[in-house]
Amino acid sequence: MVAVSDGTMERPRRDRLSRARALHGGLALVLVLVSVASLTVGATGVSLGGVLGKLASGEALSRMERVVLLDIRLPRLAMGLCVGAALAISGAVMQGLFRNPLADPGIVGVGAGAGLGAILAIVLGSFLPAGLLAMAGGHLVPLAAFLGGWGTTLLLYRVSTRHGRTSVATMLLAGIALAALAGAVSGILVYLADDQQLRDLTFWGLGSLAGASWTKLSAAAPIILIAIGGAALMGRGLNALALGEATAAHIGIPVQRLKNAAILAVAAATGAAVAVSGGIGFVGIVVPHLLRLASGPDHRALLLNSALLGATLLVGADMIARSLIAPAELPIGIVTAVLGAPVFLWILLRQRGALVDF
Amino acid sequence: MLKAENITVSLGARRVLDGLDFTAEAGQVTAIVGPNGSGKTTLSRAMTGDLAHGGTVSLNGQDIARLKPWQLAALRAVLPQASALAFPFTVIEVVNIGLHRGLAGAQGRVAMEALARVGLAHYADRPYQELSGGEQQRVQLARVLAQVWEPLLDGAPRWLFLDEPVSSLDIAHQLQVMEIARDFAAAGGGVVAVMHDLNLTAMYADRVAVLAEGRSLAAGSPEQVMTDATLSRAYGCALRVGRVPPPGVPFLLPHPAAAAVE
Amino acid sequence: MRQLSFSAFAAFWIGVLAICFAVSVRAGEPAAGEGGVLSIGGSVTEIVYALGQGDRLIARDTTSTYPPEAAELPDVGYMRALSPEGVLSVNPALVLSEAGAGPPETIAVLKEADIDFVTVPGGFDAVAIGDKIRAVGDALGVPERAEALAEEVRVALETAQANSRQDTPKRVMFLLSAQGGKLMSAGTGTAADAIIRMAGGVNATGDFPGYKPLTDEAAAAAAPDVILMMDRGGDHAASADQLFAMPALAVTPAAEARALIKMDGLKMLGFGPRTAQAVAELHAALYGG
Repeated sequence: MVAVSDGTMERPRRDRLSRARALHGGLALVLVLVSVASLTVGATGVSLGGVLGKLASGEALSRMERVVLLDIRLPRLAMGLCVGAALAISGAVMQGLFRNPLADPGIVGVGAGAGLGAILAIVLGSFLPAGLLAMAGGHLVPLAAFLGGWGTTLLLYRVSTRHGRTSVATMLLAGIALAALAGAVSGILVYLADDQQLRDLTFWGLGSLAGASWTKLSAAAPIILIAIGGAALMGRGLNALALGEATAAHIGIPVQRLKNAAILAVAAATGAAVAVSGGIGFVGIVVPHLLRLASGPDHRALLLNSALLGATLLVGADMIARSLIAPAELPIGIVTAVLGAPVFLWILLRQRGALVDF
Repeated sequence: MLKAENITVSLGARRVLDGLDFTAEAGQVTAIVGPNGSGKTTLSRAMTGDLAHGGTVSLNGQDIARLKPWQLAALRAVLPQASALAFPFTVIEVVNIGLHRGLAGAQGRVAMEALARVGLAHYADRPYQELSGGEQQRVQLARVLAQVWEPLLDGAPRWLFLDEPVSSLDIAHQLQVMEIARDFAAAGGGVVAVMHDLNLTAMYADRVAVLAEGRSLAAGSPEQVMTDATLSRAYGCALRVGRVPPPGVPFLLPHPAAAAVE
Repeated sequence: MRQLSFSAFAAFWIGVLAICFAVSVRAGEPAAGEGGVLSIGGSVTEIVYALGQGDRLIARDTTSTYPPEAAELPDVGYMRALSPEGVLSVNPALVLSEAGAGPPETIAVLKEADIDFVTVPGGFDAVAIGDKIRAVGDALGVPERAEALAEEVRVALETAQANSRQDTPKRVMFLLSAQGGKLMSAGTGTAADAIIRMAGGVNATGDFPGYKPLTDEAAAAAAPDVILMMDRGGDHAASADQLFAMPALAVTPAAEARALIKMDGLKMLGFGPRTAQAVAELHAALYGG
C-alpha cells in the first residue's frame, strides 16, 4: 500500500495561512487610515488637511496648530499604536505559550506588579527623599509601574523554573497567588490613601493616553518595538507548542529558550505599555481571539495581525475617548471594555454549540 | 545505527531502567516489547532525548546529548502515544507543523503526500479536533512522516520512533501503519517501535527486544526471542507461541489479512 | 469549531472603526473668541463669580457646581485627569486652578501653548480663604475688588465663628460615604474637620488624619451626637432610616436622636465665599435657632 505521488497532490486553493498573510496588507491599510483619521479629529477642530496645506504653501503654522498636532495628537497616536500593538501581540504570545485561548498578557504577573508599583508610587511617593522625587518628576508612577511589572515577572519566573525548566502550569498558579498578594498589599495602601490619591488610583486603573509625551515615548517605544519584533519571530515555535512541549521539542524547537524569550518579550512590552498608559483591558484577550476565529490559529500570521489590529483598535478607541464627552475625556479602559466585552460575549454565544473543552 | 549504552533512569526514588543496553540498525524495524511498567516507554523517551538519563545514546554515530534540538529533529521523528491540540488547527496544518524551514515550496506537497500515505488526504481541511482518536493518531503519523520524509538523507539514515503506534486503531489501520513502518525501513531508514501487540510485532519486526523490570531480557529476531519461556517469564503468565486455541471460540489473527494486502 | 466568516469579521471591524470616526468628527468644534478664563475647582469658580467676573468664564471643571450659571458652562472633566486637547478646545487665555490639577503632561502642553496657568493656594481657615480670593483677583486683574471681598468674607467668618462658640460642643461625625456598609469618615486635616470646629462642634473621629474607613466598633466608640453628610439629593427621611439601621451607627447617640444633617457639599467644604454662611447654617442645624 504505497502512496503514489502524482502531482494532483498540489493544493490549488489558497489555504488559511496565505489568507491570514494577505490580511497583513489589509490590516496595515486600515491602520494607516485610522492613524490619519486620528490626526484629523479632535476637540480643537485643528485639521490635518489644513496643516498640510499650510506646510505645502510655505505658510507658518499657528502656535495652536503646532501644539495640537505635534504635542498632543502625534504623541498620542504613536503611544496608542505602541500600546495597542504591545498588548495584543503579548496576548497572542501568552495564549500560545500557555496553550489557552483565554490567557491575557497579565498572566505572567506584569499587570499585578505594575498596578502595585503604581499604587506604591501614588500613595507613598511623597515619602521619598526630595532629591529622588525631583529626579523622577512626573514620571514616578510610570517608572514604579515598570519596575513593579518586571519585579513580579522575575519572581514568577524564579518560582516556576527548576533545573532550567519552566513549568507553565506552575506559573499560572503562582500568578494567581501573586495577584492575591498584590491585591492585599494594594488594599493596605488604599487604606492609607487620601481622597485625591484614591481618585488617581482609580483613573490609573482605567487607563489613559492623555499623558502621552515624547519623553514617555522615547523611553517606552524602543522597548516595545524590540519586544514586538522578537515576539513576531516566535510563530513557528508557538505553533509547535500547540502539540505539547514534548512534541515541540521533538520537532526541533528549543522549548526552554522559547519560553524564556516569550516571557521576556511579554514582560517588556506589556510592562512598558502598562507603565505609560495605565491598565487598559480586553485588547490582549479579544484581539488575538477574534483573529484566530477569522483567519486560523497559525501563529506565523496571527502574531503580526494581532499587533496591527490591536494598534488600530486602540487608536480608534482613543478617538472615542477624547471626543465623546469633549472637552472632558473618558478613560480609554472604559471604551475598550465597552467595545470588547460585548464582542467577547457574542463570540462565546456563536461558538456555544461548538466549543471544545481543552 | 542507534546505540544506547548503560542506560539508567530514576523517576523519583524508583530505578526504572538499570544499566540497559539497546541497539537498532537502519533498514530494520526494531520492536521493544514487555509488560506494563517494564520501562519500554521510558527507554524510548530516553533515546529521543526527553528524559534525563545515565549512559549514552548515539544516533548515526553522534552522541545525541551533544546535538541541538533542531539537529536532532533533522535525524529523527517521534510519534507520541497520545496528542492533545490546544488550538483549532486543520489536519493539513497539523501535518505542516513538523516541517523544517527551507522546504517552503515542497511543504505543501510533502504534507499532502504524507496524508495520502495514511489514507486521510480527503480530511486535509477538516478541523483536527473533529476527528476520532484513531484518525488523529494517523494524522500524527503523517506529521511524523513528513518530518523525516526521506528515509535516507545524504546517505545517512533517518529514524522513526513510534510509541505504541497502533493502540487506538482498528485492525485495517493497524496493518496500514505497520506497513508504513516496514516501507520506511525498507527504504533505508530506521524504525524503533514500542509495541504492545505481539502478533504485529512478530509480523513486522526484524528485531525484537524484550524488557522486564527495567532490564533487557532477550534481544534478537522474532523467532529467537518469542519463545514460550522468554515471553512467559517477561509477562508473568503462561504463554504458548504458535498454539491454536481449542474449537468453539472464534479467534482472529492479523496474519492472513496482512498477506492479502501485500 | 465554527469559523467566523471572514466577511462578517471584516464588516464588523469596519463598522467599529466607522463608529469611532463618526463620534470623533462630531467633537471638532472649537470655542469662538479669545481671552476666556477656565476655572478649575468649585471654590475658585465661586470666587470668580463673587468678584463679578463670571462672564469671563468659558469653561469649568466637574466640581464647579455653584452658582447655577457655572453649571451651564462646558465641563472639562475631573481636574486630575484633564484632556489636553479638550482644554485647548475651549480656547482659554487663562486657567485658574486649585492645587493638584493634572496630569503633568497636560499642564506642560498648556504651558507650551502659551496659556497662563495660575495655581491658587488652598487651606481650611479664614486666612487661606483670603489668600485664595486675593490670588484669583490678582490673576483676573481686579485686586481691589478681591481685597474688598476678602475683607468681607473675613469679617463674616469671624462673626459666624464667634456666634458659634459652645461650652458643651456636640460630637459630630462627618461621613464622606456609607456605601456598602463602609463608613468613610473625616479625620484631622480635612475640610470637614475644619468646618465642624468652626461651627462649634467637635470632630467625633478626630484621632487620625485624612478620610479613612471606620470599623463598626470604632464608629460606635466615637459616639457621635450628630451625623453630617453631603447632600446628594434624594429622600432625606429614607436615607436617615438606612443610615441608622446600620449596626455600627444604631447604638450611637445620633441614632437615638435621629440626628442627621445634610448640607450642600461645595458650600460646606469648598472654603470659598460662602463658608461663613455654611458655618452659620451648620451651627443652626446643630444647636437650633
